[in-house]
Formats: sequence, C-alpha cells, structure tokens
Amino acid sequence: MNCEEAIRLVDGYLDGELDAITNQEIESHLRDCRACQQTYEAHASLIGVISNRATYYRAPVELRSRIQSALQKEIGDGSRQSPAPVTASVLRRKLPTQRDPIFRMQWSWLALAATLVVAAVMVVNSQRSRGDQFLATQLIGSHVRSLLANHLTDVASSDQHTVKPWLDTKLDFAPPVVDLSSDGFPLIGGRLDYLDNRTVAALIYQRRKHFINLFIWPAESAMTTAGKTISRQGYQLVHWVDGDFNYWAVSDVSDADLQLFKQAFEKQLPHR
Amino acid sequence: MALPLNAAHLGEPGLLQSRLKIVNFAVTKNQEEQGRPRSEELGSFEALMLPHLDAAHNLARWLLRNEQDAQDVVQEAYLRAFKSFGGFHGANGRAWLLTIVRNTSYTLLKRNKTIDFTTPFDEEIHGVRGEAQSPVTLLEHSEDADRIKEAMDQLPEEFREILVLRHQEGLSYKEIADLAQIPQGTVMSRLARARSRLREFLHTPNG
Repeated sequence: MNCEEAIRLVDGYLDGELDAITNQEIESHLRDCRACQQTYEAHASLIGVISNRATYYRAPVELRSRIQSALQKEIGDGSRQSPAPVTASVLRRKLPTQRDPIFRMQWSWLALAATLVVAAVMVVNSQRSRGDQFLATQLIGSHVRSLLANHLTDVASSDQHTVKPWLDTKLDFAPPVVDLSSDGFPLIGGRLDYLDNRTVAALIYQRRKHFINLFIWPAESAMTTAGKTISRQGYQLVHWVDGDFNYWAVSDVSDADLQLFKQAFEKQLPHR
Repeated sequence: MALPLNAAHLGEPGLLQSRLKIVNFAVTKNQEEQGRPRSEELGSFEALMLPHLDAAHNLARWLLRNEQDAQDVVQEAYLRAFKSFGGFHGANGRAWLLTIVRNTSYTLLKRNKTIDFTTPFDEEIHGVRGEAQSPVTLLEHSEDADRIKEAMDQLPEEFREILVLRHQEGLSYKEIADLAQIPQGTVMSRLARARSRLREFLHTPNG
C-alpha cells in the first residue's frame, strides 16, 4: 500500500469500516511510514474531539410532554388518516389545547376509522411486545449487573427518609420510597440506573437471600395499568403503572413473591 | 422464554371478532372502542420511539442551528413517524426515526431558504491530504465545546449531519448510507471531507 492509498483509507480504518485484509495493509503501512502515522494520529485525535467534546443537544424535558400531547391529539383526530401536509403553519403551530369533539366526525370517517382499527390491532400487538421484550432484556441486564458488579446500591440505607432525599437530588423526578420490612421485604437502599435512554431510580429490596430491583421512572401517559408479569431467563418481571410512575420489579424470587411485593408496595404507598 | 409475553398479546381472535362487529353494527356508540387500539398503538410507538428523543433533537438542533426550529421539527417528525408507524417493520427504530427527523429538517430548511451556501465547498479541492497536524496542536485549539460548535456550525449541513450521525450517534456507514440515500463509498469520502473541513476551521483563529 502506498501513502496515497493509506491516506484515502485512513478514515475508513478509524471508523472500523474496512475489511480485515485492508486493515492489515494499512496497519503495516502505518508502522513503516512516519508521515502517514502522523496523519493517522491527527485524524484520530479529531475524531476524539468531535465524539467527546462536541455539544450533544439533549431534548429539553418540555419537548417530551409537548410531543406526547401532540400524539394524544393525533389519536383524538384518529379518523383523519391522511397526514396533514407539512406547512409552515404546522411547524409553527402552538400546542393544541383541546381535542376536536369526536362527535362531529362524519359517518364515513367513522366507518373508515373502525376498519383501520382492526388492521391496527393486528400490527400493534407484535410491535408492542417487541418494545416490551427489548425493555425486559434491558431490565434483566441492569438487575444482573447490579448483583455482579457489587454495585447494588449507591445509597445503602434501610431508612426511606435517607434514600428518598438522596434520589430526589439526583433525579429530575421524585420517586416514592417506602420501607416494606413489615411485609418481609426490607429496603436495602437506592441506586441510579440508566434504562430506556433515561436515568431511572432503582430501589433495592431483599426477600430472604434474594434481591428485588424496583425500577421507577415517570409514566409517559396517565394511564393506570394493573400488573403484568413476564418471565424470562429465570427472572420474573412485574410491570405496572400508577398514573405518575412506571414500575418494573425484577427479581429471581417466585412470581407469587413478586406479586406479594407489588401488593405490599402499593399498600404502603402514601396516597397522593 | 419470550412465550408468556407473546401469549399475552397474540391471538385473542375473539377480540378481533368483536371489533369486526363494531365495524358492521355498532359504529355509532363506540368512540371508546375506536380510541383504545389507537392508544395501544401509541403506547407501543412511544415505547419504541421516545427513547430516541435526545438523538432526534440533537440531529435537528445541529441541522437547523436553532432551538425553536429544532423542537418544532422534532415534534412534527414524531407525528409523521406515528402516522407511518404501521409501515415500520425494521429492527432499527433509531435510524428510522432519524431519517424522518432529517427529512423534516430539510423540508423546513428548504422552505426557509436557509440552506447555507456561504461556505461552498468543492469536493475536489477539499481533499483529505495536506492537513496533517499534530494532535497536540489540534487539542490546544479546540479545548472547549463552544469552539467546536462554532467550527461545526460553519460546515454545510450535509457535513454537520454526517458528523453527528457518525460520531455522536455511532451509526455505521451502511446505516448512514440508507438514511441519507447515498452510496456507502460516498459516506466514507464525505466523512473524510467533513473532518478535513472541520480541522481547517479549528485551526483558523476565532473562526
């Protein structure tokens, strides 16, 4: 490989996008050619700068709720299945304040919508389960890591009045924390975790020799759901939503124990 | 072991039957019934797509260089994505969403005629050679994020876009090629040019 080729390919090499043979050729060239080695280092350092120092514009919190409101509105307008044309006014429009009254919809639209609904049911079920399964995998991963890495708690305390303020200062929401010792699930502590692309609270409870990770983050919609149990890889997961928060309890305790845990937690939860 | 989960969602032919009846006989009094599957779809959509909100916002923000526009475009992109969610069967929700964010951003850029040609570039002239600088010099010049932002904002949007997709989102050449509808070879050469241009800007004192 000559210098011209090496320089042409060095970016692809740095991106890990070349085949194994070309990689080897480049590496042997870089070992022998000081000039190309310098170019390589300069490019590598620039890539490091872009990756690590360039601002990453996280979405402001209000954008999430804005989008959720807009999507809710979309459901309200579900009969209009043709997308509204994107115009400046659409891009500029303010948040909808009220849903269009559904009663004003025309009959033909209703029939059409109902037909679409049937199709949607079939599509949705598979996608919904896919999303849940992906999350379930993440949750089990977090649970296992918390036990493996000897990093069960960031704040180790059986006192809810210690754990809660600690979490409150670290999160952009205030998760409920209750001790369930009297129900046979003593609180061990709290931890920050990262799931579903956001920082979440993890409360750790003990059941005999087993641990339960209870992951909590704000619910995306006000819908309340009863518990749903998933069993995977020998772990039990129970998911429920109480209007304010999403709860995922993950453990290797039995399904019955985890249901008891959920009941105990809900019973002890201060009424809001 | 995914069986229990699937079992909970699949099947239920009875449910489907009852919905068919709704279509035929009970259209008038079933607003709620209509709303429910759409809400389920929304739940599924949100679960799959809202995790990528930061990525969507970051791309739009870099492309549009304006926070308000970025937020409007991201919201519009989510609405568009939801409307065509039924057609999404791929495994890569993030790339799919980013494609829509990108297209929506360009729609706005074109309409506002804000496509920035003040820094025209010539693909032949701006080769990748002759700019080797020691990494030390580079780091000295680019210590703070403001300086990098300033430099990146001077780049044409196809360069900003490809740098964000590759270095902030970690997309592969293949994913970028699909997203921007260009050949993979073009991804490599465009990335090289983008970095080369950025390097020049970083070495120019105060932009």
